[in-house]
Amino acid sequence: MTPPSRTLTRAEADAFGRELDALRAEVLADLGQRDVDHIRAVIRVAHRAEAAGRLMLHFGLGPVSFVLGSGALGVAKILDNMEIGHNLMHGQYAWTRDPALDASYEWDNACDGGDWRHSHNFEHHTFTNILGKDRDVGYMFLRISPEQRWHPHHLSQPIVAMLLALNFQWGVATHDLRLDELIAGKQTWAQLRERARPFLRKAGWQLLKDYVVFPALAAGNAPRVVAGNLVANLTRNLWTFAVIFCGHFPEGVRLFHRDEVVDESRGQWYLRQLAGSANIEGGPRFHVMTGHLSHQIEHHLFPDLPASRYPEMAPRVREICERYGQRYCTGSFARQFGDVLGKIVRFALPGGPRRAVRPAPRCERVRSGEAPRLAPLGPAASPPAIGACPSASAR
Amino acid sequence: MQSHTFRALSRRLLRLHPADSPPEIRARVVEVLTETPDARTFVLRPNRHWTGHRAGQHTTVEVEIDGVRHRRCYSISSAPSDRHLAITVKRVAGGRVSPWLHAHVRPGHVLRLGPAAGDFGLEPAEVAAPLLLLGGGSGVTPLMSILRDLVDRGAVRDVVFVIHARRRDDVIFGRELEAIAARHAGLRLLVELGDLDEVRLARQVPDFAARTTLLCGPGGMMERVERMWTGAGAAARLRREHFAAPPVPTPAPGAPVAVRLTGAARTVIADGAGTLLEQLERAGERPPSGCRIGICQTCKCRKQSGVVENLRTGAISSDPDEDIQLCISRARSELRLAL
Repeated sequence: MTPPSRTLTRAEADAFGRELDALRAEVLADLGQRDVDHIRAVIRVAHRAEAAGRLMLHFGLGPVSFVLGSGALGVAKILDNMEIGHNLMHGQYAWTRDPALDASYEWDNACDGGDWRHSHNFEHHTFTNILGKDRDVGYMFLRISPEQRWHPHHLSQPIVAMLLALNFQWGVATHDLRLDELIAGKQTWAQLRERARPFLRKAGWQLLKDYVVFPALAAGNAPRVVAGNLVANLTRNLWTFAVIFCGHFPEGVRLFHRDEVVDESRGQWYLRQLAGSANIEGGPRFHVMTGHLSHQIEHHLFPDLPASRYPEMAPRVREICERYGQRYCTGSFARQFGDVLGKIVRFALPGGPRRAVRPAPRCERVRSGEAPRLAPLGPAASPPAIGACPSASAR
Repeated sequence: MQSHTFRALSRRLLRLHPADSPPEIRARVVEVLTETPDARTFVLRPNRHWTGHRAGQHTTVEVEIDGVRHRRCYSISSAPSDRHLAITVKRVAGGRVSPWLHAHVRPGHVLRLGPAAGDFGLEPAEVAAPLLLLGGGSGVTPLMSILRDLVDRGAVRDVVFVIHARRRDDVIFGRELEAIAARHAGLRLLVELGDLDEVRLARQVPDFAARTTLLCGPGGMMERVERMWTGAGAAARLRREHFAAPPVPTPAPGAPVAVRLTGAARTVIADGAGTLLEQLERAGERPPSGCRIGICQTCKCRKQSGVVENLRTGAISSDPDEDIQLCISRARSELRLAL
């Protein structure tokens, strides 16, 4: 395993950040026809896969067309959620000014786009891996790091994680409802009802579409269509669960305490994104099927650049990391996912090999001129316990 | 109604188009005519979503260049009753869209248009009045639409058409105007090479102040005409069409500028020192925002016009109708935001 990252001074961190800014500017200046051709080609493939899948489910007979049909529909949903939906909703193609490639895209998923843009684009990408601020750390109910306080309910997490994998879109869809806050008494039922409105609307439509409208259109083949949609949704759920859990939970990824990021500079923000993310190695098709989240590191450094650029940026990012003595966490899918499963089992039990928490990179309170900076998170008196999430800023 | 519901349902089921997008006006290019060395007319056949225009109006042309969509306004040069729609585009040296249109658009090409807009033109009651059409350079295009409309309606009674151009070769529609003048005794055509000369104009059109005048041309020429008409007490009879010049950025960041919030119909003065988000919040506005470092897109909003500087990239952009992130943008001119 690569040695842990060297702690950089603020000046070093800022130099590191400037190199990444330069790389970002270089790619930004190069964006053009090739990028829109790529995303439109993926959209075309997803539409054709969906049409082919639905035709086979609706009009086919026998098991072969069922397997092919639900498989094609599963692939369509994966492409739609990952390479198309996730990336468009980040605004990665906003520079094209094409309304069809806008961040307001609504994906084929039970999660409402607005909820997603709030919980993912804002909370997760801003407060990445900060304990108590990033609600994606174990999704507020899994313990995937010794730094998280153990509760007896964690004993059941291997089974809970399995159930989550099977129903992953529902986990994603209800994430922004903050049910944990309801249990902790920090959210009232009235607040939840208000908050759940977009979710109910979107999830209702998804259920209606997959399990009522399309089966009704298939008339006699309705049970087959219901089953096919179920298999397709399940396929997408398992795949996205695996890819997404490999993004931040493998061995070598670290968490941050709130007092470590007070008055964080842009360079330090980059360092946190790097230290909090992990890549999966694979070929071009594999990368597209993961929505290029196999390049989670590049995605967290440059969330608004078209994801299909990450593979060409990765060697340059890696080279910069090596020069600054920063760990670049990458591995095969089997290794990364194995790590994740191992952690889910190991940290179900109390304790665990607590890493020596590095001294927080204390930073002098220098205001760097006009550069936009992270909104101060406010110093925490003590590291907050996981599960007790302070409510995030207003929407 | 039923077909609309069906379309909406099929669109949502198959997700073929972005939701709620208005029907797109598309137009096929039928013919490209070379008017002068740097002006071309694109004759277009629009689809059924085009609802026609009034003489003197303009339309928006949207093209995709290297993956990026750009929109520009061009005056319509055809008459409302013409079989086809025509826009005439002068190539602006160093511009992005007009040189591209000249270089790439051929018959068969499809352009996206906006609906006809603008209130330049004649009121029905003015058609019978003595008219003066005064155009400079490409400013002749909306006037051409107006003249063609008068010809179609048999209303060329007492019209003076004055064109200013740099050289004889630069006179757009020169030959056609001569042909119309030859057929219609009611049209007097004056082609002037070089800058506007007030004394000469007053000598050639002594009753200018009594004529309903339609003016379109470069900014300098328009200002001089406006002064001349005001001096003659005829400002009320002067109609003007400004071709929007690109907004000029304030020389130094930090100069105060007015930011118009078109949705709320309020104007905020930004001192230009901080980000637009900070400026708006300081003025008591509460636009939606999230990360404040340019990654989450929550504060994205439509800039309708003006110049902004992107603080992350240093890029300065003056494109109309562009989405900007308030938290990493700084005002560099007066702005109009769809907030």
